[in-house]
Amino acid sequence: MLIYTINRLLQLIPVVLILTVVVFGFVQALPGDIIDSLGGQEAVEDPEVRAALEKEFGLDKPIYVQYARWVGKIATGDFGKSLITRRPVSVELLERIPATIYLALVGIGLSLVIAIPLGTIAAVRRNTKFDYGAQVTSLLGISIPEFWFAILCVLMFSLYFPILPSSGYVAPTEDFAKSLWYLVLPAVAVGFRQAAFTTRLTRSSMLDEISKEYVDTARSLGLPEWKVIYKYTLRNALIPTITISGLQLAALLGGTVVLETIFAWPGIGLTIYQAIQLRDYPVIQSGVLILGVMVVAINLMIDLLYRVLNPRVQLG
Amino acid sequence: MSGTDGRIGDTLGRRGLLSGVAAGVLAAGMPAQAAPMPKRGGTLRFGTRVDGSGLDPHRNLVYYVSDARAATTQGLLDLNQKMEVVPAVAQEWEISKDLKKYTFRLRRGVEFHNGASVDAAAVKWNYERIMDPKFGHAFSRASLEDIERIEADGKEVVHIHLKEPSAVFLGNLVYYPCNLMAPNSVGQADTHPVGCGPFKFVSWKRYAKSEMVRFENYFEMGADGKALPYLDALEGYPKREDKVRLTALRSGEVDLIDNMAYSDVAAFKRDYAKQLTTWDVAQVGMAHLNINAKSGPFAMDAPNGKLLRQAVAHAIDRTAIHEAVFNGLGEPLNTFYASSSPWHMAGVKNAVTFDPEKSRFILRKLNMMGMPIAVVAREAFQYMRNSGELVHSMLMEAGFKASNEVFDEPVLRDKYRKNDWGIDSTATSYRFEPDGWYSRWLHSDGAEGKLRLGFKNEKVDKLIEAARLTLDRGKRMEMYTDVDNIVNDEAALIYSHAVPLTGAGTKRLQGYAPAIAGPFTWAGGGVRTAWFDNTPA
Amino acid sequence: MMEQAPGTRQRVDVLRPDETPLRVWLHRLRQSVVAGFRELRRSRTSTIGAAMITFLLLVCLFTPALVTHDPIKTNYRERLAPVSAEHYFGTDKFGRDIYSRVLVGGQRTITISVLAVAFGMVLGLPFGVISGFYGKAVDAVAMRFVDGLLAFPGLLLYLLIVTLAREWKLEGFWNDLILVFALGFAFAPQVARLARSTALVEARKEYVEAARVMGERNIMIAFTQILPNCMSPIIVTGTVRLGFVILIIAALSFLGLGTSPPTPDWGADLSAARDHMESHPMIAVFPGLAICFSVLAFNLFGDGLRDLLDPRLADR
Repeated sequence: MLIYTINRLLQLIPVVLILTVVVFGFVQALPGDIIDSLGGQEAVEDPEVRAALEKEFGLDKPIYVQYARWVGKIATGDFGKSLITRRPVSVELLERIPATIYLALVGIGLSLVIAIPLGTIAAVRRNTKFDYGAQVTSLLGISIPEFWFAILCVLMFSLYFPILPSSGYVAPTEDFAKSLWYLVLPAVAVGFRQAAFTTRLTRSSMLDEISKEYVDTARSLGLPEWKVIYKYTLRNALIPTITISGLQLAALLGGTVVLETIFAWPGIGLTIYQAIQLRDYPVIQSGVLILGVMVVAINLMIDLLYRVLNPRVQLG
Repeated sequence: MSGTDGRIGDTLGRRGLLSGVAAGVLAAGMPAQAAPMPKRGGTLRFGTRVDGSGLDPHRNLVYYVSDARAATTQGLLDLNQKMEVVPAVAQEWEISKDLKKYTFRLRRGVEFHNGASVDAAAVKWNYERIMDPKFGHAFSRASLEDIERIEADGKEVVHIHLKEPSAVFLGNLVYYPCNLMAPNSVGQADTHPVGCGPFKFVSWKRYAKSEMVRFENYFEMGADGKALPYLDALEGYPKREDKVRLTALRSGEVDLIDNMAYSDVAAFKRDYAKQLTTWDVAQVGMAHLNINAKSGPFAMDAPNGKLLRQAVAHAIDRTAIHEAVFNGLGEPLNTFYASSSPWHMAGVKNAVTFDPEKSRFILRKLNMMGMPIAVVAREAFQYMRNSGELVHSMLMEAGFKASNEVFDEPVLRDKYRKNDWGIDSTATSYRFEPDGWYSRWLHSDGAEGKLRLGFKNEKVDKLIEAARLTLDRGKRMEMYTDVDNIVNDEAALIYSHAVPLTGAGTKRLQGYAPAIAGPFTWAGGGVRTAWFDNTPA
Repeated sequence: MMEQAPGTRQRVDVLRPDETPLRVWLHRLRQSVVAGFRELRRSRTSTIGAAMITFLLLVCLFTPALVTHDPIKTNYRERLAPVSAEHYFGTDKFGRDIYSRVLVGGQRTITISVLAVAFGMVLGLPFGVISGFYGKAVDAVAMRFVDGLLAFPGLLLYLLIVTLAREWKLEGFWNDLILVFALGFAFAPQVARLARSTALVEARKEYVEAARVMGERNIMIAFTQILPNCMSPIIVTGTVRLGFVILIIAALSFLGLGTSPPTPDWGADLSAARDHMESHPMIAVFPGLAICFSVLAFNLFGDGLRDLLDPRLADR
């Protein structure tokens, strides 16, 4: 296990290097440049201004030099400065990453709270009205465009039944109770959708597990049904559910752009999306890189966890 | 500007202030005679469409309508509701006979938030920093581009020497304001700016919240003789999504929003008249359709350039834009200023009227039926995108083969540089001083005109130059009327519609009204004079 | 789960030495289609899904005959009109016929999604098969590259590609190819990974050894023997992906990165309708339903297909 872990960690090095090349390449290929978005209407066309800004941002150097500089700096933990706000990228991003992680974690947690009981009961009462109901609900959850669902939630719970704030963010370190209050709507919007996936997954892995021999053995030994289901089957059936939730968590790290836009949630997705529009190169590059490393790390952890939970999986 | 001697004393400024407050109160739907006395205190939560991009007030446009942080800064001059320049940090000023030297006398005892005094040396330092291409934003720099040198005369007097005579320099100073910041705070400009506006900067969490508190030593006095501002604190909440922002106001999460979707205005006014106040801001900007006269078939020097531009103009139905894009708000226009503006020029004639038959006739005559034309629009503003979409359809009707595309700013800029566009659905806002429009766009040497329109007309050039040397508003308006008549006849661009703006706020908020300059940079009715009436209605 | 893919079951009867590879391939295809239909009827969800998809495809096919108005012709005098005999679904804010827009937009959206998924498969499948078949160094390098792309978080890859491709001078349908490219490119790494894991298993099987003994070249074995056997899990993923792609297009439209107006587009039309959702909610209903319907169709069908192709779950 240890050797496997070390091996996997070593494999991350080329992955991250490839990621830097890909990100850098994409950012370089973006049409137009930062000076166009900084300049306002007029004096951008002034070659003197352009030259001064290019020099300041290091854009006058050849591309490979820019790349080498960027990677070199990152290796020492320096992410550079946002060309738009002129604050360090680390400051720009470190304020936002927690907001996104907070939203993603609570959203996924909520989805599990909904999905596990729903999926389990649907599997146990297979082909009943409950099962069909759960399936239809989860299919609807998958098929509604996210932004539409979010706006409907806002109108429903902030305007027609005004019980929740429509939007905004309060850091949990600032005021935990209040932060949860503001989190409810966005987390529901994340959770409902993710729950749609996980419910279906839980249901099918439950069905899979119930049909196994040990369940019949347990039943024949006279164990009560609830104990068979909840003590033995569910535990095994949850392994894929938890695994997939972990993968969903990784995907959510850059995937909540739409919800962050709607709920005025100052997350990393919104930040990078805006940086793309403004061509704020250091923020895009470093932002995607940091997220990418987090995604890779989460995937690795899930993989390892999966192997711990499910020893039948071979290493290698 | 009223007096031809170019001198406006404090009295006039104070008068402007009083009428402004009255207007604000009226707009708030209160009977004027029963105007209650302003009360101190309270935190105003302001929901805006966008968040600013940085903190340094010289580098960044502190946007008028949509950035609560604009309350931390102020310049030498302000505007009043009539779009006249009134005193702010500068108490009075004098313009030399040859229009080449402007002398400002600063108000005594004005302080920056860190206690440093706003003196002549500080003004000189600020203006010089704005003029430095390394720091100043292009907009602010453009407003100071006429300056030859600045001279601090003692602590209170600043002489500004211009390269060329100009009667419009004062207007330029408020056109995207040249904000003052404390020279000794330059090191923290990007993290904690220190200005001299009514509120002090506290913190800025991008895309989430900005906080400001009342500046206790702010120089301006309210109509009641007490120190402004009345509010204790100001919080800005950027909420991009129109529906969400409006909902936040309706559910009481914010007290004030800067604007709402055009499609929501009518129903909102009908359904929420009792609970919330709405303000229609007069003449914020002008939506226009640029025609590429720099190169291609519409160019000034193309054989049928003018005829083809007119064919485009004949295809444009302003009423459709009025209804479908602006939901019946504002008004269709054929000149730059709307009828609500003191600069509105009623004498402008619309040489090219809506008549798609004529477009088709021209195209057929030139044997150019189905000529391709690329309509472009800016992604950031919905009304520009929507106008482009509609114009595309109108051009198709009129016999063109139009394409329509929406781009973000950098790509669009690239298109301008490469002349890779035909019609641009765009708008120009916040031109308090008409010269800011005419010189920059329609003069053959204007920055925007050169980059985008490529329109050249000797007579227009002469008129604009003459207007720049005229202090009298009436005479200038006559000249600009002539300009717009030529522009309409030449179809240099198509003025289409006034850009309306509707803000809204809680009924508790009194003494507030937004103006063309937004909620901040105007004397008499913006956030500075706003206060909360907590007595139950 | 992969090692029991059904392709193996159908293999034996087609291996006649005198057949050309193409004919072998066609024969297999015919067989699997026939078998597929037989199987299909056993799963209720996939039958419903198949019916819905058939309906969708028929509508797309006959769109030119069904359209009643020019979908981009505006008429402000008739804007925001309710449902009527003249306008079956009413008109939008520019007075355009929503019924015609939904039809034409659907044709576009479905075409883009199918092309995008197909493009992703064409890109990812050979990549994954070769990587899995050759293994060792080839595999290590190829998979690190795939990992690098998969580390791109959430929507950000699409945002970057679409922004990047916006400036290419493309018109009409070619413009839509940008979306095809972005969505397909982002799908390719997933396909590659899936194909690779199947190929790894398949490469060790006896029939591959048999082909080697018969003197086929390695690359031929990879493409004629192994690739077809990797298809079934990928077809399942692809079908589910079709629904997902429709939602991504809608999200991109919401963020302003979809197709430029006035081209009819479900996502863009739904997104534009949100301005009027309080005063004229009907504008949103039809594009919204269209999205839900198609996503649901592809999900149901894909789900059913998965159940069918995975023998462990075949009893459902």
